[in-house]
Amino acid sequence: MELFIQQLTNGLAVGGIYALIALGYTMVYGVLKLINFAHGDLFTIGAYLGLTLLTTLGLTNYLGPFGVVIVLALMVMGLVAIVGAALERVAYRPLRQSHRLSAVVSALGASIFFQNAVMLIYGARYKVYPHDILPRTAIHIFGLDIPLIRLLMLLTSIVMMIGLYLFIQRTKIGTAIRAAAIDQGAAKLMGINVDRVIMIVFLIGPALGGAAGLMVGLYYGQINFTMGWLYGLKAFTAAILGGIGNIPGAMVGGLLLGVIEAMGAAYISIAWKDAIAFCVLIIILIVRPTGLLGERVAEKI
Amino acid sequence: MKKILFLALALCLMAGTAVAADTIKIGLMAPLTGAWASEGQDMQQIVELLADEINMAGGINGQKIEIVTEDDGGDPRTAALAAQRLSTQGLVAVIGTYGSAVTEASQGIYDEAGLIQVANGSTAIRLSEKGLNYFMRTCPRDDEQGLVAYKALKNGGYKSIAILHDNSSYAKGLADEAKTLLEKDGANIVFYDALTPKENDYSAILTKMKAANPDVVFFTGYYGEAGLLLRQKMEMNWNVPFLGGDATNNPDLVKIAGKEAAAGFMFLSPPVPQDLNSKEAMAFMTAYKKKYNAEPGSVWAVLSGDGLRVVAEAIKATGSTDQDKLVAYMKNDLDNFPGLTGQISFNDKGDRVGDLYRVYKVSADGKFMLQP
Repeated sequence: MELFIQQLTNGLAVGGIYALIALGYTMVYGVLKLINFAHGDLFTIGAYLGLTLLTTLGLTNYLGPFGVVIVLALMVMGLVAIVGAALERVAYRPLRQSHRLSAVVSALGASIFFQNAVMLIYGARYKVYPHDILPRTAIHIFGLDIPLIRLLMLLTSIVMMIGLYLFIQRTKIGTAIRAAAIDQGAAKLMGINVDRVIMIVFLIGPALGGAAGLMVGLYYGQINFTMGWLYGLKAFTAAILGGIGNIPGAMVGGLLLGVIEAMGAAYISIAWKDAIAFCVLIIILIVRPTGLLGERVAEKI
Repeated sequence: MKKILFLALALCLMAGTAVAADTIKIGLMAPLTGAWASEGQDMQQIVELLADEINMAGGINGQKIEIVTEDDGGDPRTAALAAQRLSTQGLVAVIGTYGSAVTEASQGIYDEAGLIQVANGSTAIRLSEKGLNYFMRTCPRDDEQGLVAYKALKNGGYKSIAILHDNSSYAKGLADEAKTLLEKDGANIVFYDALTPKENDYSAILTKMKAANPDVVFFTGYYGEAGLLLRQKMEMNWNVPFLGGDATNNPDLVKIAGKEAAAGFMFLSPPVPQDLNSKEAMAFMTAYKKKYNAEPGSVWAVLSGDGLRVVAEAIKATGSTDQDKLVAYMKNDLDNFPGLTGQISFNDKGDRVGDLYRVYKVSADGKFMLQP
């Protein structure tokens, strides 16, 4: 039982990261029906920008650990949001009227561009966050040592996801996003500036991805320029698992994928954990082709 | 006038052949250019330094050594041409080279020419499995490390052992090798599995491993993952000793794990040249520093020096430059020759037998310390 709970917390912490990245995929898909393959690399950029800001600004001299993290998170989210919006403007908007496949190819190109840009700017070796930013205490519950940061990471992801959900459901901009997701033409007729809505989607999604990158850097310490590929793939899987285009689906899918991986590693085989996760995905898609929450909510996003 | 010129020419030629007959020519094939140029240039400097030393001391049985160097560019095609050039120059043996693929391209050419080749950095197993009589090497084979790991784990007195690799052919090979040897010896392998490289979170694996309750964990993968494992292990408050393979020998390991988590981590690796501590090695390092005002970059280059010393020893002992006699001597009679990198003997395949790998331990301030 102890082992089970320990693995559950392991899985949920990783799953929280997947879910945050998956939100970016799912929002863009909801509005544009486009898989933004460059999203994983925006996550990488978040991790690297966080490291640069942390080491150059010397925030630790003025603020406590959590102050540093909050200021850093806001800055990283802002910067990555700008990169995301620029990506949309340069790589996707000119292709808005062309075939959907053209945009997918453009996304792949953007991904390769970002990955190599990060490598050329920062170098191909591992980069390491300073170790003394966050307190390394562990909480002792149920006879288990669970690192405090791990719980905070999960908590932060959940808070961000709930915040996003409320934003989409309760605000005027959120309503506009939902309207554009259902029918762009009709939304335009109702006086909604769809280009601006898409721009907002490309601000929010990358901001969350960047925050996930910063969290990974702060907690795990080690980052490299190819990390976005693996996380991006897993997050994309999570988005499909939960039903792509659906925000609660991305959250459920992400957390579930993390837990399936941890449990697969714990009770079957570590080397097979990815295979197990993808088998579960296939089974779910056979039973529910639209993903777990794909049908429950009538409109996408 | 013409006669005098002719006489002079004839004298020169005679003198030339007379000098040539007095020297023993040994070839060196090294990557002087290309991606491994730093290794190759070290190899050249080392071999020349040692040849000079031998010549200063009166040569081998009164004959001086002459080194004939060819550049293989770290490239198999260039190496084949270099090997052909070296084969036609009346050499006794050829020292080198560094990369396994490069050595492989030249092996057949030397063997056909009946020329002894002593490779220094080519660790691929297959090189000595082809039944080539004249091929030898001073570096260990890839499977040697498994044996060293087995010994280190056995000497540590660990009863239950966890082995973790990363599914790369190198890491899995090492893990399998160590596992087979340990199981034959009756050790209890409580955990054997692979992680996915380039992930950040290995806590699920560590949790599972902890439940198996091993006395020691042997990780055969690379330093990036090793650093994360150490860091996350400390966060779980799990104090199990970790042993790594030679792919963990990188200072970035300490950066990733943090000094506190890395302290006490042990890994297997050939010694860095600065840690070679035999009498011969220390004399060599002093001479090298004096002549070139630098230190050799890696142990692989130093192994080319051992190649030359072994060949010189064989010529001295047999009093002959006949290749068959020399090979027979090195394989059968040369026993625990005091090399720069430790004791050297060769088996029938021409592989080095003997200790090269050492155990290193990370100290509290993040330095790699050679263990006695």
